[in-house]
Amino acid sequence: MPVVVVHTIMNDFGIKFKHVPLLCDNESAIKMTQNPVQHSRTKHIDIRHHFIRDHQQKDDNVESIGTEDQLADIFTKPFDEKRFCKLRNELNILNFSNLK
Amino acid sequence: MANEFEMSMIGEISYFLGLQIKQMKNSTFVSQGKYIQDMIKKFGLLKAKSMSTPMGINDQLGSGASGNMVDQKLYRSMIGSLLYVTASRSDVMFSVCKCARYQASPRESHLKATKRILRYLKDTHDVGLWYPKGYNFELIGYSDSDYGGCKIDRMSTSGICKLLGKSLVPWSSKK
Repeated sequence: MPVVVVHTIMNDFGIKFKHVPLLCDNESAIKMTQNPVQHSRTKHIDIRHHFIRDHQQKDDNVESIGTEDQLADIFTKPFDEKRFCKLRNELNILNFSNLK
Repeated sequence: MANEFEMSMIGEISYFLGLQIKQMKNSTFVSQGKYIQDMIKKFGLLKAKSMSTPMGINDQLGSGASGNMVDQKLYRSMIGSLLYVTASRSDVMFSVCKCARYQASPRESHLKATKRILRYLKDTHDVGLWYPKGYNFELIGYSDSDYGGCKIDRMSTSGICKLLGKSLVPWSSKK
């Protein structure tokens, strides 16, 4: 997971983070990371899921976020102009002439 | 290090491998404006109408898409050029990656979608990543998935981005 990679690099630079949230808009996915019980319906979700579950128990937290504020949306589906521009600006992808 | 390797000091970095880097007092701005303009010229879309988004909401790009086969060489070279643009333009990441899946047998509809990305970039070529100074330095991860969004094999696409303070550091869109 890239979170862990960035976390490790920053640790090497001597910058320590106390709390690194991973924001997700799917409540049931969050519930599954928090509850270490084996369900018969989740047994096909294997290594990646256990990796996150493992980190959840250590320090990194998977937290919930509203769909409106979910910035990673832009990487999974197409949008109309209004929402697309909003997400683009939130990610700090800006027009140079609009700066300052 | 200068003893070990032959090197010379030629000043502050401003242009490197197609990346235009502007360093200001409080921020750094990375864009690929020139590369994008050259690319649009190369594919002959200088006079094309520009678009406001890289992909329509209802665009379906199934493998059984309609239309005749198009020149695979042209399609692949477009995808190759666009993939380099995603180095600073994460807003076209999803649409470029989606079009890149059909490189094996590109149809007219796929070429049309790829040209639409180019037409979107034409209007927004001076857009780039902005790294401001002095915001709080916290690492926040965002992760999202479209549940079985691919109509062909029902695979999900997951999107990940990390913000360090207000700067976007890594991002990915992966099926």
